[in-house]
Amino acid sequence: MKKSLGTAAVAAAIALSLSACGGGSGSSAESAKGELSYWLWDANQLPAYQQCADDFQKANPDIKVKITQRGWDDYWSTLTNGFVGGTAPDVFTNHLGRYGELAANKQLLPIDDAVKKDNVDLSAYNEGLADLWVGQDGKRYGLPKDWDTIGLFYNKAMLSKAGVSEEEMKNLTWNPQDGGTYEKIIAHLTVDKNGKRGDEAGFDKNNVDVYGLGLNGGGDSSGQTEWSYLTNTTGWSHTDKNPWGTHYNYDDPKFQSSIDWFAGLVDKGYMPKLETTVGAAMADTFAAGKSAINAHGSWMIGQYTGYKGVEVGIAPTPVGPEGKRASMFNGLADSIWAGTKKKDAAIKWVEYLASAPCQDVVASKAVVFPALKASSEKAAEAFKAKGVDVTAFTEHVKNGTTFLYPITDNTAKVKGIMEPAMDAVVSGKKPASSLTEANNQVNDLFK
Amino acid sequence: MTTTTSRAPKPATTRRRRPFNTRRAGAWALLALAIAVSVVPFLWVLRTALSTNGSLASQSASLLPADFTLGAFMRVFGLQSPADAVAEGGSGAAIDFWLYLRNSIIFSSITTAGAVFFSAMAAYAFARLRWKGRNAVFSLFLGTMLVPPIFTALPNFLLIKNLDLLNTMLGMVLPYVFMTPFAIFFLRQFFLNMSREVEEAAMLDGAKHLRIFFQIVLPNAAAPLATLALLTFIGQWNEYFWPLLVGSQDDVRVLQVGLGVFKSQSPQGAPDWSGLMAATLVSALPVLILFAAFGKKIVNSIGFSGIK
Repeated sequence: MKKSLGTAAVAAAIALSLSACGGGSGSSAESAKGELSYWLWDANQLPAYQQCADDFQKANPDIKVKITQRGWDDYWSTLTNGFVGGTAPDVFTNHLGRYGELAANKQLLPIDDAVKKDNVDLSAYNEGLADLWVGQDGKRYGLPKDWDTIGLFYNKAMLSKAGVSEEEMKNLTWNPQDGGTYEKIIAHLTVDKNGKRGDEAGFDKNNVDVYGLGLNGGGDSSGQTEWSYLTNTTGWSHTDKNPWGTHYNYDDPKFQSSIDWFAGLVDKGYMPKLETTVGAAMADTFAAGKSAINAHGSWMIGQYTGYKGVEVGIAPTPVGPEGKRASMFNGLADSIWAGTKKKDAAIKWVEYLASAPCQDVVASKAVVFPALKASSEKAAEAFKAKGVDVTAFTEHVKNGTTFLYPITDNTAKVKGIMEPAMDAVVSGKKPASSLTEANNQVNDLFK
Repeated sequence: MTTTTSRAPKPATTRRRRPFNTRRAGAWALLALAIAVSVVPFLWVLRTALSTNGSLASQSASLLPADFTLGAFMRVFGLQSPADAVAEGGSGAAIDFWLYLRNSIIFSSITTAGAVFFSAMAAYAFARLRWKGRNAVFSLFLGTMLVPPIFTALPNFLLIKNLDLLNTMLGMVLPYVFMTPFAIFFLRQFFLNMSREVEEAAMLDGAKHLRIFFQIVLPNAAAPLATLALLTFIGQWNEYFWPLLVGSQDDVRVLQVGLGVFKSQSPQGAPDWSGLMAATLVSALPVLILFAAFGKKIVNSIGFSGIK
């Protein structure tokens, strides 16, 4: 309930900000100096960005950067309130799922001129990342900072106990009809209270001790870590085109059969019930030994490998009916608030954040993959030095098996419709065919 | 848990003069259970606060801290470097604890003092003065208790914004400082029961309403006023949404909002449980101390007003 109130407040705040704001331009006369405020949500990356800020200040003694970290839960509501109240940060970490609306509401400063003038080499970023931040109006609203893909985290001890080799784990196949070897392994890794495995006779699906696959939630509109790595191997995609599609495809039988299979895992006892995921972090339940495999994003590497006493391996997502793997490709960028009074300084800082000196610092901390190709490789090295093999994530980028996070208008409303619809299906209350109705509602938003 | 349940019934059985009595033992057992139910969560909070985040999940069944460390508390007081904090599986964000504590104390004290005083005046008017439409106005007042705070949050926010009071203590305090319907209702019930004779005697002596209010009503209502003050203070201490909206900058940010950094960091990421629990313990301390100091008074006043 808290969440829905928050979204309502955010939506209202955005609507209000349309009328309340407007005095963003005309500040270019100010020179590049003063104190910049910069917001991000990931505390794990704070040390890296603090160092970037320190280095930046050394090179630009006239500019001070003040970093504020805010947890993800409050980040967007406080940000939109800041737009309305005139207290938003000059520069902030932006998300693909949100920036379309922020740009449409004229809260973001286009940076095309600066990018051209300062000769920012857009081809140095991983393919597609820089283009994501060109809005529907053709203007650029951010420079990419990092990217993420999806992989399968697995519990090594459970695998070896079940006699599943890591080689098998790395060569999984999947299809919506029988689930392929992916379902076989998930079933085999599921263990009930009597020690019977999911593929053995007498398996008690109502008293499961270890689930083969962990569940994060229903996955709302994007299914980023939940199901999109499966649905999109069937040739299905969220929207008619990406970015800036105007038609969603949740009514496609290909999608619905995949979701039926996914929800069926709960029914078979291979995946926890949806209601048990509320208030619990999937990663924590994994570390507590309650699930053997978790599909999760690369930004969670630190969390999964940070648990003491749990040996974690990472496998690539399974190969689907079209003979390829698939992973959502999401990226963050740093954007400038249209209402900033320190435009030039803000541009300098954003360009620095997107440059090799800063992204190499981020890479060296081995938390996320920076957007620059060269820095990405350095991050992979840094992970390796920590004893973590991250090829499951980088492979997607190398082999071009990624698809972009669906960027459209109305993302908040789409999410508002799809979240309860997907929850109803994954919790087994409705069949996947009920998503056709939700899809009609979603597409009505674009009329 | 085990210690309280096994120890508590003993006095009933070992006390010299009273013979063993099953009903009595049952009552003791029930009491012990109630204590256990209310105390164990606190112990669990403490245990989590003293654990290392990375070990919490894998040692979830152990009653003792998983991988004992004081790191979480150091994190709360800002004594741990972000790098160390991240290495312990905690939040790399630092909070300026003492500054936020100061802000919390200012915010809660001002709103409590204001709300109690002004509500007392209003309650006096509703209880002791006779004026046209009094009951209608009072019902209207009570009716506002039905309006969920979320409805007024946005209009209030815009008002404060237009007054240019965002990120000021005044802006944070304004919606609470004058009165709350509950406080007025609470005090009105008490004032209604005060004897009219004393008031009439004072009037005969030439006292006006102001003097009656300050010299007779207020001193006589010390106990309910203290109760109300404490309840308001606790409520204000725990207030989250409004301070989050209005006081987002460091110099006015209150403790509860500051603690949010331990709550969630990245989407789908697990919270910094030990940091969160340590911070919660530390931030609950002032209220616990207040309760220890004034708890008896509250119980008395509730009993007092209940009997009357």
